[in-house]
Amino acid sequence: MLFNSLSFTLFFIVVFFLYLVLKCKWQNRVLLLASCIFYAAWDWKFLSLIFISISTDYFCSIAIRGSDNEKIKKWLLILSIAVNLSILGLFKYFNFFSANLTQLINLFGFSVQPYTINIILPIGISFYTFKTMSYTIDVYTGKIEPARNYLDYALFVIFFPLLLAGPIMRAGDLLPQIASPRKLSLNKFYEGSYLIFWGLFQKIFIADNLAKIVNLIFGSKPPYEGVEVLITIYAFAFQIFCDFAGYSNIARGLGKCMGFDIMVNFNLPYFATNPQDFWQRWHISLSNWFRDYLYYPIALRMRK
Amino acid sequence: MEVRDKLNRIFQEVFKDSVIQIKPETTANNIDGWDSFSHITLIVAIETRFNIKFTQKELLGFRNVGDLIKSIESKIAP
Repeated sequence: MLFNSLSFTLFFIVVFFLYLVLKCKWQNRVLLLASCIFYAAWDWKFLSLIFISISTDYFCSIAIRGSDNEKIKKWLLILSIAVNLSILGLFKYFNFFSANLTQLINLFGFSVQPYTINIILPIGISFYTFKTMSYTIDVYTGKIEPARNYLDYALFVIFFPLLLAGPIMRAGDLLPQIASPRKLSLNKFYEGSYLIFWGLFQKIFIADNLAKIVNLIFGSKPPYEGVEVLITIYAFAFQIFCDFAGYSNIARGLGKCMGFDIMVNFNLPYFATNPQDFWQRWHISLSNWFRDYLYYPIALRMRK
Repeated sequence: MEVRDKLNRIFQEVFKDSVIQIKPETTANNIDGWDSFSHITLIVAIETRFNIKFTQKELLGFRNVGDLIKSIESKIAP
């Protein structure tokens, strides 16, 4: 169920109507159920996987907050990270590493068949894994308080507008919006609708049409003309931008209609003046994630 | 207040801007040039000047300048 499909449109109209007539607590339950249905529409089998992540981080975080023993806190954090990374590693990267390792071994003259497991990628797995991991780390460092309500926390992780392509919102920003009633207004509805339509335009009109040009060259065999390659490279740059930024805009728009403030994920990245600037404008939530949970822990440990 | 003044001077030196006025609610978003590189420089400067040492967990838990000031005060208190 992609955002730019008829089934999603019907799905959202039903969800939005229910959302409008219900109070906060029931709105959250409808959103949680809707998100589960949305995810199950891709593959219901992976729904259990996402709930393993949700439950691990929910209970680890409460235990971290409740414990006075630094050692126990640390081991709980390690447990949570280990569970999350194992799931991500197994489902997303196992075949990749296996295939590359085999190639490397074969380079040295051995003949080994790659050992791959036959699984399909659970959709959105990196997005929700990063989200649940950042939550537990933030609870551990004392940045945020753990969520007390399991259903609210589950909704934070599986919230359907952000499930497929982010942005990777932090618990500190999104959980309070889930826990307390959202204010709805006609203005927010207009703004949200604008974002949705602008996102759809970027995705369907620009990205999907550029894809036709791009695939013409990327999908054919050499020789190529120089001009063709030049056009294709530029077309591809705008295709991936409009595809991803369009999706992010739709996510923000869907959130806005329901009274949620979803962070900006793309800030005119092609106007960046250097690579550092670029990564502060492209998929901002991911760059920030790596800055806060990978770069800082390493750089701060190595300081001096 | 003393900690805040001293910290403010460190901010002005690290970010080479003599008009910076830090507040408890100041974050990296409010100060030009406070990026992931200068953040490390800033932390090292604070540790040297106050002669204190932050733990890894404290450093990762700061939400704003207010958290930073609280942590410094707890360390220099007799």
